[in-house]
Amino acid sequence: MDLDLLLGLGRFLLATTLLLLLTVPTAFVIIQMELKVIAGMNLRIGPNRIGPSGLFQSTIHGFKVLAKEDTVPDQADRSTFTLAPWMVYMAAAMSMLVMPFAPGAIAADFNIGIVYFFAVLGLSVVGLLVAGWASYNKYSLLGGLRSAAQMVSYEIPLTLSIVGAVVLAGTLSFSDLIAWQREHGWLLIWQPIGLGIFYVASLAEINRTPFDMVEADSELVAGPFTEYSGMRFGFFFFAEYVALFIMSGILVSLFFGGWLAPWPFPAQLGGFAGTLWGIFWFFLKTYIFVFVAVWLRATLPRVRVDQLMGVAWKILLPLALVNLFITAIAVVAFDL
Amino acid sequence: MGHLRRSGTAAHALGRRRALTTPVAAGALVRLLTERFAADLRDLWTDADTVEFTIDAERALDVMRSLRDDPDLDFFMLADAAAVDYGPGVRFEVVYHLFSWKHPAWLRVRAHVDRADPRIPTVTELWEGAMFHEREMYDMMGIIFEGNRDLRRIYMSPDYRSFPQRKDFVLPDDAADSPAAGVNPLERPETWDLSRFRDALTVSVAGSELRGDAPAEAVEDGATLADKSRPR
Amino acid sequence: MTTIDRDTRIPDPLELDRAEEERLRIAAGLTPVRAQVGEYAGFDQVGIPDRPPQTEREVEVYTLGEGEMLVNMGPQHPSTHGVMRLVVKVRGEIIVDIDPVLGYLHRGIEKLCENATYTTVLTYVDPMDYLSTMHNEHAPAIAFEKLYGIEAPKRAEYIRALVVELNRIFSHGLMMGFLALDMGGLTPILYAFINRDEIVDMLSAISGQRMLFNFFRVGGVNFDTNDEFLSRLGTWRSNVMKNIEMNERMITDNEIFRARTIGMGTLTGQQAISLGVTGPNLRASGVPFDIRKAHPYSIYHELEFDVITHPGGDSYARYLQRIAEIKQSIHLIDQIIDRMPHGPVQAQVPGIIRPKPGRAYAAVESPRGLYSVYSISDGGPNPYRFRMRDPSFISLQAVPKVMPGKLVADTMAVMASFDPVMGGVDK
Repeated sequence: MDLDLLLGLGRFLLATTLLLLLTVPTAFVIIQMELKVIAGMNLRIGPNRIGPSGLFQSTIHGFKVLAKEDTVPDQADRSTFTLAPWMVYMAAAMSMLVMPFAPGAIAADFNIGIVYFFAVLGLSVVGLLVAGWASYNKYSLLGGLRSAAQMVSYEIPLTLSIVGAVVLAGTLSFSDLIAWQREHGWLLIWQPIGLGIFYVASLAEINRTPFDMVEADSELVAGPFTEYSGMRFGFFFFAEYVALFIMSGILVSLFFGGWLAPWPFPAQLGGFAGTLWGIFWFFLKTYIFVFVAVWLRATLPRVRVDQLMGVAWKILLPLALVNLFITAIAVVAFDL
Repeated sequence: MGHLRRSGTAAHALGRRRALTTPVAAGALVRLLTERFAADLRDLWTDADTVEFTIDAERALDVMRSLRDDPDLDFFMLADAAAVDYGPGVRFEVVYHLFSWKHPAWLRVRAHVDRADPRIPTVTELWEGAMFHEREMYDMMGIIFEGNRDLRRIYMSPDYRSFPQRKDFVLPDDAADSPAAGVNPLERPETWDLSRFRDALTVSVAGSELRGDAPAEAVEDGATLADKSRPR
Repeated sequence: MTTIDRDTRIPDPLELDRAEEERLRIAAGLTPVRAQVGEYAGFDQVGIPDRPPQTEREVEVYTLGEGEMLVNMGPQHPSTHGVMRLVVKVRGEIIVDIDPVLGYLHRGIEKLCENATYTTVLTYVDPMDYLSTMHNEHAPAIAFEKLYGIEAPKRAEYIRALVVELNRIFSHGLMMGFLALDMGGLTPILYAFINRDEIVDMLSAISGQRMLFNFFRVGGVNFDTNDEFLSRLGTWRSNVMKNIEMNERMITDNEIFRARTIGMGTLTGQQAISLGVTGPNLRASGVPFDIRKAHPYSIYHELEFDVITHPGGDSYARYLQRIAEIKQSIHLIDQIIDRMPHGPVQAQVPGIIRPKPGRAYAAVESPRGLYSVYSISDGGPNPYRFRMRDPSFISLQAVPKVMPGKLVADTMAVMASFDPVMGGVDK
């Protein structure tokens, strides 16, 4: 028993270390994608000096952010000022614990994994509020309040949109959900409305364009991050790109079959080969959706803050409730 | 840059005076103006496309109001309001350019403003857009627009003490002798309290004693350190 | 009411103690600047303004009511079209009042031109409204020709109209890009710059410069068209309609863009005339005032075109107005190229001209509105008075008029739809 406990603990520590280490190259890759993909859509070249056709640009960005001077405003509350980026980053990192990379390759395979995920994701709201408050700056405060309002109002349609999927599959665990999708086909066919609501709400939740007025730099400079510099600022942006990856990953797991290949394979590959196969398909699908988010950033202008709230409360929430009712009735009626 | 061909012929010689726009029939306008403003007109002059007349400063608002509201004149648009300085001891002029659909000529109204006591009524109640014109004229020339709700400097900083576009503007200036100088108390040096220089040296910011600056002052009861370090 | 108070001694406001300032304001019957400091988040409203208000309007703007605060936008700001400071009084997210603070880019061009010869003046006016340089030069050129009493040759007038319309096209295209950029759309600005680049390469072939062209002279233009210019013009003309329509499609039917511009910043025609707004902003409010038709100059009485208006008066109408004017300018360019006569491109004038004493006023239709020059000559080599009326300067007064009641996020979008350029605003 002791050995089991120790092995379990060791496995957990190894998994969390790997996950934290994974966040770094993920953020770098997504930043590089953003630089080059948006440049291509803008008919520009983007960075092309550092590395072959600019591939190491975002790594250098990371080093630059480390090397910058760390300033704290004179009248800012130093302890909370330091705590805010940690909170946001930890919310993202902790939610990676339940990401279903491959069968057997989940750091913590809770049977209430979905609940855990959405609960932990909400912690980033606290981080942004604290950042806005602790900066002792009117603009940061306004930005922090805006972002808190935005994230809180979008959490409701976000969580409601997947309740339909949960009711259909009858489980709150990610791996069981994906197993159900293997039997019955991907959930995007069963829950198209839920998918739409989830996608829009997830973009708003992670402050991506068109819902990025938190960092609307043409209005209130950088919102709650105005007073942050150096690595503290780097943490916020790390957290944002990691959250983008995580949201895409969860979207893929919930609606697009997670680690499953697009066509049904007769035999389930076991062991190490199975894990690799799952990881390959998971990352491929996730990065397709990351690409779509970057594409949206290049194309769409920003929605205004009151229109944003309007969409959440007047369109997405009623739609999510309607979706839930239809699903529940269908489950009972057709004995699914 | 390729082959540049310069015009070499003297086909368009200089000195041949020609209308630069289609000459307009200004006769009707001249007649109306002499009828309506017989008492106010000091001078009337026409060009190919402009009719110009001169008035005194006090009559400016009434004349402009009649020009705008009279249905035969109907000069609904104030195109430009400019100030001209004819030199110390001569006069200022405030020049308005107006446009009307009914009259194809530009109308120029020149108001003579006394240079020693430069005041003229404002036209902001007729055209709200004249506000920035008048602020600029005050800022650059020092002309006071009576009745203007917001007569402050627009280009220069609010404590600037001279009027740059005057003909006698030199640095350091002597235009501050004009009666228009000192409308804003910030522009009057006799109202400045120079004791601030003495006080500023004795207030220290936290940590300055480490640098060997002036010794720190005791913080009074009720005051916070923030009170001392805020910009004054 | 502004009164001169020569007798009262007022201490220097910059050094007033906080309590002293409150006491004076209360004695004057004004509400305190900082009402209940402790209530609002513990912040002090320091620095805006750093002195008690001096005029009625300043008192109106800087007196804070219940739950209001003053927020600075600029002068360093990514979206104010140059350096400008907007002091915005907000209640939460809703704007209560705006006070623009100008002068950060003031270069004293009018005074500078009083010491320059007439030809040098044409180089000084270039960087005023730096996105419509040709128009900046056109108005003084016409005014000086009126003063000097000559007329430019016909071919010169046609070339002038050609470059002026090309300038109008790229300036309106840039407005499209800036409007989208101020709302967060990153791509249209770059497409607009591609269009601008094609035109600017053309104009650099004819004038030698890419931005501040220095192309006009008193009596004509500096250079005639050359092979490179004409070949670029031909290539550009065959592609432009397609490009403009592609760029336009990206924005015009975009749901988010429409939701953020329709109904925003509405100006009625009467309000616009009273505020002095001219150009596409006025025509988008329904008033058919175009200097090229109302008071034709150059060769515009020989060209066929209509005055386009849109009835809406909101930001979307101003955007559509500019797109329509781009297409109209292309149509005008076609006519100009068709009818361009042969001949010299500059009248014979001496290097330093000395017009007879007189006054001249010349107005042109710039992409931002009525751009006019009033010049007085005293017989010498320098203008006695050189006054420029810049449209962006006057149109800026519309922003504090339309914004109260709207959200902070709309300020930039509405300002971008009026398309001010700070170089012109600050002269």
